[in-house]
Amino acid sequence: MRKKSFMSSLVAVPHMVWCALFIVAPLLFVIYYSFTNTEGSFTLDNLTRLSDYGDTFLLSVEMSIIATFFAFLVGYPFAYFMARQSETGRKICMILLMLPMWTNLLIRTYSMMAILDDGGFLNSVLAWIGLGPVHIVGTKGAVIFGMAYDFFPYMVLPIYTAISKIDNRLMEAAQDLGCNGRRVLTRVVLPLSKSGIISGITMVFVPSISTFYISQKLGGGTFELIGDTIERQFQVPSTYNIGAMISLVMMILILISVAVMNRFSESED
Amino acid sequence: MEKIIELKNITKEYDGEKVLDNINLDIYDKEFVTILGPSGCGKTTTLRIIGGFEMPDEGDCIFDGKRINDVPAYRRHVNTVFQKYALFPHLNVFENIAFALRLQKVPEREIVTRVQEMLELVALKGFEHKKVTYLSGGQQQRVAIARALINQPRVLLLDEPLGALDLKLRKDMQKELKNIQTRTGITFIYVTHDQEEALTMSDTVVVMSEGRIQQIGTPTDIYNEPVNAFVADFIGESNILDGVMIKDRLARFAGKDFVCVDGGFDPNEPVDVVVRPEDVDFVDVEKGMLTGTVTSVNFKGVHYEFIVDINGFKWMIQSTDFVEEGREIGLYIEPDAIHIMKKSEYSGLYGDYSSYSDELDELSNADDVEE
Repeated sequence: MRKKSFMSSLVAVPHMVWCALFIVAPLLFVIYYSFTNTEGSFTLDNLTRLSDYGDTFLLSVEMSIIATFFAFLVGYPFAYFMARQSETGRKICMILLMLPMWTNLLIRTYSMMAILDDGGFLNSVLAWIGLGPVHIVGTKGAVIFGMAYDFFPYMVLPIYTAISKIDNRLMEAAQDLGCNGRRVLTRVVLPLSKSGIISGITMVFVPSISTFYISQKLGGGTFELIGDTIERQFQVPSTYNIGAMISLVMMILILISVAVMNRFSESED
Repeated sequence: MEKIIELKNITKEYDGEKVLDNINLDIYDKEFVTILGPSGCGKTTTLRIIGGFEMPDEGDCIFDGKRINDVPAYRRHVNTVFQKYALFPHLNVFENIAFALRLQKVPEREIVTRVQEMLELVALKGFEHKKVTYLSGGQQQRVAIARALINQPRVLLLDEPLGALDLKLRKDMQKELKNIQTRTGITFIYVTHDQEEALTMSDTVVVMSEGRIQQIGTPTDIYNEPVNAFVADFIGESNILDGVMIKDRLARFAGKDFVCVDGGFDPNEPVDVVVRPEDVDFVDVEKGMLTGTVTSVNFKGVHYEFIVDINGFKWMIQSTDFVEEGREIGLYIEPDAIHIMKKSEYSGLYGDYSSYSDELDELSNADDVEE
């Protein structure tokens, strides 16, 4: 028995080394930089300078919330529709959903830019039917759209999983007791897919709030989100420390919000 | 009594396979009707058509004189107790039962009184705030019944509701269900594959096989006067023999002539003869109408169950008298214990105990989960 457990812990060694190298070590670096200045001595200056970035932070929160909201608005019906398909239908939906994911995020965003740009595909079509041109790239809307679009599958998949786990008999029972289609959804399907909704929201909100590429490309450099701020700090060594502090605070805030979300979903399970 | 539900020429196919073949069934108000049959006979589909979860391909479903084929489930005055209960896991006992009333925006006060009444009816007082997932099978069953009854439906549909319960609990629930039905005066349509359940509770039993109704009648009728070999075999134990009706009240089977009480057949018409195991008496060999050898004995508690070889045909005989294995024995059958049936497509398929074993019997009863 002892030997077996020794062997099995031996198997886990590569994984632990991996975690130590690529998760724990970078984290320690972030913490180290956060509380030191450029000379490497301990300081709390970085913490006090955070208030300079308050507005950027609030803007990021606002835009991520809107993006998450729209991803949910489109994602939930899509997931519901998908869960109600036959086996083949589900597979087709899944491929359609996953296909864009096989393309790199940066390339996807770049092509979205090509489509939405002033001289892009969409505007050519709009101009051709006499509705354009519409200035899209460089607006808040474009960035929000980009976030919702890029992280859409992360919204759909957990919700889809939750809905497909609901026993069909529960929906029949609801109909039997007097629910029409809409009420089956609000009284039974929605509450029973809550855990999926919460995962979906978390999985779209978290990458949205920390993204920098989407806002740079689709935002056209007209405004800055917190992700861009962090990225900018790491382009010159002299601002590593404040960059690390913003990252650390962001990380803690995200952890707190995830914890709150999880608590919320567990409380009724 | 007035008709509450009429099924007229109902036909239903799945992928080209006929699951219901021309079903005609009248159900009367305040009746306890059981649809009985083996797995895949179409009984659940029949129930789902009445509940509004399936559309018949052909035929009409009439409720209270009106055709309701196109009425969706949520607007029918019918409620269902589902197989495995289908309770809402996100709601507690109280909210599960109150579900239908909440939809109708019934005032809170009335909801509380009516849920309390229901909890009392199903003997679950004090359970209101329990999570349904923490309840035992029997308790979940009661919640499901209360949830379906609170709407005061005209008809309650029950789809194998006791299938997942153990034997003792099932017996208790049978009594309780019958009790609830009598007290509330609601028409119950009960689907089961358990013949004993059907005989115990029902006013009317509908026996189905292969998408067709074989027989409709009271439990006594179905047991004493089965119309064909399928019904005779499915309800209780039967020895079914190939015979000839020589003339009215005289039948020939097992190589002998027997006086019986049936008539109305053509002279020398080939028939199926049913003799129930409990209707055969053991007598001395010389006094016997038939003689046979006991090939196996099983103790069943109230009686013994014997397999007796009579001229190569194995009979099942139940008796409180003990006879040891291998003994030669005489058999006596009263005229009114002999039941004569017309030949049917099921002739020759059932009623011979040459390959009988208890184990097989249990296996064939294990298919609770069906359709």
